[in-house]
Amino acid sequence: MHGTLAPIAWIVVGYGAIVAIAAGVGVVLRAPRPRWLDQMAWMLELICVVLGLGALGSLLQGHRPPSMETHIGYLAALVCIMPVAILSMREERESWSSGVVAVAAVATVVVAVRLMVTR
Amino acid sequence: MNRPIGPRPKRGPHLVLMACYALFILASGSRAIVQIATQFHVAPFAYVLSAVAAVTYVVGWFAIRRAAHGRPRLAEVMLWVELAGVVIIGTLSVVRKDWFPDASVWSYYGGGYGWVPAVLPIAALLWLHRTHDKQDTEERAA
Repeated sequence: MHGTLAPIAWIVVGYGAIVAIAAGVGVVLRAPRPRWLDQMAWMLELICVVLGLGALGSLLQGHRPPSMETHIGYLAALVCIMPVAILSMREERESWSSGVVAVAAVATVVVAVRLMVTR
Repeated sequence: MNRPIGPRPKRGPHLVLMACYALFILASGSRAIVQIATQFHVAPFAYVLSAVAAVTYVVGWFAIRRAAHGRPRLAEVMLWVELAGVVIIGTLSVVRKDWFPDASVWSYYGGGYGWVPAVLPIAALLWLHRTHDKQDTEERAA
């Protein structure tokens, strides 16, 4: 991943943490999953896609990370985790479904950090 | 007597547990595949154990799903198997470091994954225990 993409990765980390906290609060309060949490999660996904496309462009320009397989695995996970989580919970709006969003957001944060480490 | 098995509502803490298990299927499975395919000679024992962990998480995911639908037998076995695996492999990685030139998923009790692999089966067993108690109480009341 090119150095210029690091700020976007940090935005993913920071915003992902906010999504995880918001979803976690929803679980603690036992509140049905609000629509705005879905919108926050999709916004996180949008930033992940931007980061993923940037990283892919960097690879196509010739940048070679130490472990290509690991790097591509992290890229795929970065863009896939949140949509799978939200779509699997699309008909379920009870409070524990916010927990699934929280888990997906934490995983996205971890993957974004690992992506920066393995760039 | 057969326990009534019906389509139960898709709600409860097991959703979060299943999400965690799905993530660990992805993490440990892809880790094992990449390591076995590209550098198996470096630490064959550790990499095979990572693959075993991935299979355990797959079975664990199905076990929790079944338990949430009123069939807890598989989960009762698999969660203890998983916990035993984390404890045994974690302890081996501490006392026999020469067996682990590279880390497996359960090395150091899952320290490479923030010790979530150690916490996960315990959380699932607690959920299973609570769910069972609740079901038993409901059955007695009925």
